[in-house]
Amino acid sequence: MIYFDNAATSWPKPPGVAAAMAECLSEAGGNPGRSGHRLSVAAARIVEDAREGLAALFGADDPSRIVFAPNATHALNLALYGLLRPRDRVVTTGIEHNSVMRPLRHLETRGVEVVVVPCGSDGSLDVQKVEQALQRGARLLVTTHASNVSGAIVPIAELAAVARKHGALYLVDAAQTAGSAPIDVGALGLDLMAFTGHKGLLGPTGTGGLYVRDGVSLTPLVRGGTGSESAYEIQPEFMPDMFESGTLNVAGIAGLATATRFLADLGVEAVQAHERQLAAHFMTEAAAVSGITLYGSGEATERCGIVSFTLADASPSEVGLLLDESFGIMARTGLHCAPAAHRTLGTFPAGTVRFSFGWFNTSSEVDTAVEALRQIAAWSANGAMTSPGHRVTEAQS
Amino acid sequence: MDGLISFFASHHAIRAETVLKRHGHAARLVPGPRELSPNCGVALRFEYAERDAVAALLTANRVRIDGVHSYQPRTDDWNVRSA
Repeated sequence: MIYFDNAATSWPKPPGVAAAMAECLSEAGGNPGRSGHRLSVAAARIVEDAREGLAALFGADDPSRIVFAPNATHALNLALYGLLRPRDRVVTTGIEHNSVMRPLRHLETRGVEVVVVPCGSDGSLDVQKVEQALQRGARLLVTTHASNVSGAIVPIAELAAVARKHGALYLVDAAQTAGSAPIDVGALGLDLMAFTGHKGLLGPTGTGGLYVRDGVSLTPLVRGGTGSESAYEIQPEFMPDMFESGTLNVAGIAGLATATRFLADLGVEAVQAHERQLAAHFMTEAAAVSGITLYGSGEATERCGIVSFTLADASPSEVGLLLDESFGIMARTGLHCAPAAHRTLGTFPAGTVRFSFGWFNTSSEVDTAVEALRQIAAWSANGAMTSPGHRVTEAQS
Repeated sequence: MDGLISFFASHHAIRAETVLKRHGHAARLVPGPRELSPNCGVALRFEYAERDAVAALLTANRVRIDGVHSYQPRTDDWNVRSA
């Protein structure tokens, strides 16, 4: 089997991740921060070890600025609802995921003004256009770090500078890049950054979080028990407790801590180079497949390990089904929860087939996939693709 | 160890232990005595004589503390880490 769906969730996980989760459940079964007994302290140590590892990976000098959340979507909601008020202006881009766009469209109904800066047809973002939008004043700029459809990298360093210049806070959605592209929140001067644990960070699902720069004031999205200030019925106002009500996913965080150590030892730069090399190799080889359209920039340095494509006369879902059933290749097809990005690329509403490479993929897997696409393109040219499924099977034999 | 630091949240308690040990100070997490540590489950025992250096180190590492106390428990039996 070939797994090319790492942008949905990475697989496999590094050695030790599953064991760390099992060990957490069997050996550190307490509730972190709630009690003083050894099992509670053991759980709290796991959580704080993970927090420290993530802070180091992201260049945050104070681990308490890293808040755990179930996923990047939750973290983005915390940032957006925690910050934006009626009559605030927020600037975003035309390649955002629904985890940004749906909260923003909802906030729009509550009186927040949403400005969407369009992107080029290759998914590229013009910083000057963002600056023009910010010149009219904005509370927040929110962008992805990389498109989950085209793989286009967004120039977050330039955007951070432009946002700062115009007095806007900058929230980065690093769902596709945390762990697979170097991010130094301190050096970049990011105000907020949402990340998920189960993609590039190579941890389990149900983990993620938000980096909140010291000095950025957010209202909690969820209030409740934290284990701290238990005598009071009002929410604590210190990090990280104010944003971590309710018991954390300790077993998941244990797995994430192990995965983070794996990445720190490996070096995120090495992961990025590997994924870019696979993407570049695929783009070069696949360009010769008859009827293929590849989306996004051909420049390796302008993309992450995500590529999107379509085959002439074949719907993305048909191609995806054949890749799975006939070749054992896992890809994601359709709109990838990002209708705006597909409108930008001109692939709405049919969508694309997406390959997303990870650390554990190899060049020979890419070659196998290109050969599979060549075969599918041939079937498509023969008319097999528009026929019922059983005739596709005939064409294969 | 005759000193005890109380915290607002376990994040800071655990982090304090990590920071102090990393810098060669004796430190041990214990269940917080109710009268000194009403906020979270754990407190940190340390050498009270090192309190100035310890306080400076924690401030430099942005560890937020509730209070620094001289503290002599009746026994050492309640130490969670040696049990």
